[in-house]
Amino acid sequence: MIARVGLERRPLGIADYALGAWVAILVAVTVYGAATTTGFLSVSNMKAILTAASFVGIIAVGLTVIVLSGSLFSLALGQTAAVSAMFFLYSVRWGLGAAIVLTLLLGLAIGAVQGFAVGAWGANPIIITIGAAGLLEGLAVWLSHGESIVPPDNRTSWEHLANPVLGLPAPVYVFIAVSILLAVVMRRTRFGRQIYLLGENRVAARAAALPITLLTVGAFGIASLYTAGSGILIGATSANASLLLVGSYTYDAIAAALVGGNAVTGGRGSIARTALGAIFIATISDMLLLRGYSTGGQILVRGIIVVVVVVLTNLRERNR
Amino acid sequence: MSGERDPEQSSGSRSPVPEAVPEVLLEVVDLSKSFGPVRAVQGLSLDVRAGEVHAVCGHNGAGKSTLVKSLVGLVRPDEGTIRFGGEELSLRNPLDAQGHGIALVNQELSLVPELSVEDNIFLGGLDVPLLYRRRRLSKQARAVLDQLGLGHVQLRTPVETLAIGERQLVEIARLLVRDARLLILDEPTATLSKPEIERVFRATRDLVAQGRSVIFVSHRLDEVFELCDRVTVLRDGRRVGTHEIGEIDRRALIELMLGEMEGAKAMVEHEHTLPGSGEPLVTIEGLTVPGSVEDVSLVLERGLITGLAGQVGSGTSTILRALGGLVPGVSGTVSVRGRPVLLNTPRRAVDAGVLYVPNDRQREGLFLGQTVQRNLIVARLRRLSRLGVLLRRRAHRTARELAGMAGVPVERLGSPAGSLSGGNQQKVLLGRALELEGTALLALDEPTRGVDVGGRADIHALVRTAARRGTAVIFSSTELDEVLDLADVVVTIFHGRIVSVVPRDEASASAILADMTTSHATGTAAAAT
Repeated sequence: MIARVGLERRPLGIADYALGAWVAILVAVTVYGAATTTGFLSVSNMKAILTAASFVGIIAVGLTVIVLSGSLFSLALGQTAAVSAMFFLYSVRWGLGAAIVLTLLLGLAIGAVQGFAVGAWGANPIIITIGAAGLLEGLAVWLSHGESIVPPDNRTSWEHLANPVLGLPAPVYVFIAVSILLAVVMRRTRFGRQIYLLGENRVAARAAALPITLLTVGAFGIASLYTAGSGILIGATSANASLLLVGSYTYDAIAAALVGGNAVTGGRGSIARTALGAIFIATISDMLLLRGYSTGGQILVRGIIVVVVVVLTNLRERNR
Repeated sequence: MSGERDPEQSSGSRSPVPEAVPEVLLEVVDLSKSFGPVRAVQGLSLDVRAGEVHAVCGHNGAGKSTLVKSLVGLVRPDEGTIRFGGEELSLRNPLDAQGHGIALVNQELSLVPELSVEDNIFLGGLDVPLLYRRRRLSKQARAVLDQLGLGHVQLRTPVETLAIGERQLVEIARLLVRDARLLILDEPTATLSKPEIERVFRATRDLVAQGRSVIFVSHRLDEVFELCDRVTVLRDGRRVGTHEIGEIDRRALIELMLGEMEGAKAMVEHEHTLPGSGEPLVTIEGLTVPGSVEDVSLVLERGLITGLAGQVGSGTSTILRALGGLVPGVSGTVSVRGRPVLLNTPRRAVDAGVLYVPNDRQREGLFLGQTVQRNLIVARLRRLSRLGVLLRRRAHRTARELAGMAGVPVERLGSPAGSLSGGNQQKVLLGRALELEGTALLALDEPTRGVDVGGRADIHALVRTAARRGTAVIFSSTELDEVLDLADVVVTIFHGRIVSVVPRDEASASAILADMTTSHATGTAAAAT
C-alpha cells in the first residue's frame, strides 16, 4: 500500500497480458472453428446461435446489475424464470397484455424482496437467493400440484412471442432491445452511476450517503424483472411450463457475466460485456454441438473457459 | 534478571562485554527510509539495552512508525543497519522478525475474536506441529498467561468475551510463547481504561525483569515517565536525543518534541484570521458515544473553523463520524440552523447539511477504481440529473470546476482516482464537498493525513475558502502544527472528553500538547465534574 502512494500510472501487469492472450486464443479458436466446422457459417446456424443466446442473455444482462452493484450473484434466476413462465402461461387466459404485465410485476416483486433483505439487513446475497430459489420451487409445486401449466386452448395470442419476425425469432429482438436499454440506463442515469459506485466501494458509498438499500432493491428488481421477461419468452416458446424449465439458466447467466470479464467484486464491467459473453458461450456451444461433442463435453469446455477468465480477471483486479 | 528462556544463548557478545556496561540488545545505526519525496527517517541511530523499557516519543510524522516498521520487517530501510543480539539483520517480513525474537504489539489487535484464548495464542505459530499435542501447548499457554497476570482467564474462553486490556495481554502472551526477546508496544494504551493500563504495565515490568526488552511508543508522556527507563525523542525523522528518564522532566521532553516549532509558529501570519460571524450554525449538546466520546458540547459558528486536537484513539474521529451519521448508538442533540437532527444514517446527516469527509480515503473515502470525475460529483448526482438521467455536459463542467477549485489536475478527470498521488486523492475527496448547496457544516476527519507539505497548504487554503463562503467547519487532527495552522478555535480532546477550548490567538503548542497527552490536567478534572 505504501508503494502505491505516489504512483501515477499503473503499468500493465502479467495478468493483463495473460488476459489479452486468452482473448486472442479464444478468438483464434473461434475463427478456426468457424472456418472448419461444416454448417457453422450458415444463416440458419447464425440464427440458431442468436436464439440460443437470447434466453440466457436477457437473464444475464439483468444479472449484471447485481454483479456491478457488488452483491455477487443471484442463485434464484432459473427458478424465477420457470415460475414466470408458469405464471405467464396460466395468466394468458386474462389476455396477453395483462399476462405480460402481471408476470413482469411478479418478477420485479420477487427480486425487490430479495434486494431488500440484502440491502437493508446486509444479508449475504448467495444465501438469500438460494433461500428464494427453494421458496419459489416450493410455491410452484404447491400451486401447480406438480403438473405442467398449459395455456388454455382458446387463446393463441402468446404464440406470437415465439414466432419469427423478419426471419428472426422474436426473443432475439427482445434480447437486443433490452440489452441496449439497460446499457443506456447503466451509463446515463443516476441509478446506473450509483450502482457502479456502490459496487466499487460499499464502505465509501455508505459514507457518501448513497441510498444503498434502494440501489440494492433496484439491482435485484431489475435482474428479476429481466429474468421474468425471459421466462415469458421461454414459456411462449415451449408452450408448456413446469419446474423442469429451471434447467441451468442460473449458471449459464452467471457464466455469461463472468466470461464477459465483469469483476466479480463489483464496480467494473458493463452490460455489453455480458451480452457478448452470452453470445460467445452460445457460439462455442453451437460449434461443439456441430462437431459432435456430447453434452458433457460442451459443459466441460464451457466450464474451462469460465474458470480461466475468472482467474485472469481476478488477478488483474488484484494488481490494480 | 535471570532469563529463563535463554536470552544469552544466541547473543554473540557474551564474554567480551564487561559487567558494568549494560548489554545492548538492539542497535540501530544510521537508518534511513524515504517514501517518494518524503524522508520518513534519516540517519537514525538508537540502542536498546537488554532488560529496559525504552520509550520512543515524537510528533506525528516524526518517524516513529517507520522506525517500528523497519524493526519488524514491514518496511525495508534504504540505508543503515539493524543489529540484534550482535547479529546483523535484514528482515524481509514480520514472520522473519518474529523468528529472530522481535515482535510488535499493534494498536489494532490481530486476535481472532471467535477463537479461544489458547487457539489465538498458537494461531499461526511456526513450531506448532501438524498433529499438535494440546496438553503440552496448554501447559505452555497457561504458564505465559499466569506470568502476565491472566491467571483467572480460562484457556477455552473465546477472546471476544475478554476486556480489551485482557486481549492486549493475550496478544502479548502470543508473542511470548514465540520467545520474543524484544517487544514493541505501539500505543498500547490508546484504547484501555486505567486499571487495564496498570495491568499491561505490570506485565511489562515483569518481562523486563526477565531480561527481555520493550520499546514503548506512546504519545502519553505520563506513561513514559511512569514506565520507561530511557526515552528517545524523534523529530522530522531524526533522533534529537536519548535520555535517562530520571534526567529529564516533562517540559524538557515537550520542548524536545516540538523543537523550534513553537518559535516558527509565532511568525506565521494570521492573515486568514476570520472571527466567526457569531451566528451559531450547528449546536452540539451532550454528544456521547458509549466507550469513546463523553458529553461533548460545542457551538459551531458560521465561517468559523474549529479544530479538534487529540491523539489517536482520543475520540476526535468518533465525534466527527457521529456527526456524519456513521456511528450507531449516539446520544445527545445536534441542531443545524436551530433544528434538531437525528443522526442515525449518513443520508439524514447529508440532508441536514452535515457533510462528513472520512479520514481513510482509500477505504472509506474514494471509489479508487472509478474516474476522478465520478468521484468528484458523487455528492451532487441528484443535482446533476433530471428525472434520473444524468446531464452529462453539466456533470463534466461541474467536475472541471471542482477539479480547478480543489487543485486536481483537470487532465486527470478521466483517470481512476486510485492512480492519483495521495495528496491529489485527498483533494478529490475534499473537492467533492466543496460548493455544495445547503451545506451547513463540513466535518473533516484528518483532512491532510498522508499528504506532503505542499499539498497540505493547498488543502488548508481550500478549507479556509469553504469557511469564508459561509459554512461552519470542524476538523480533527493528531498533528499540532495542523491544528495551530488551520483552526480558529482549538478544542482539545482527551479520552473522549473536552479538556480545553481555546481561541487560536491564545493557544500555544505546549499547552495543547500538554492537554492532549495528559491525564491529570486541571481541564480534565473540570470537564469530569
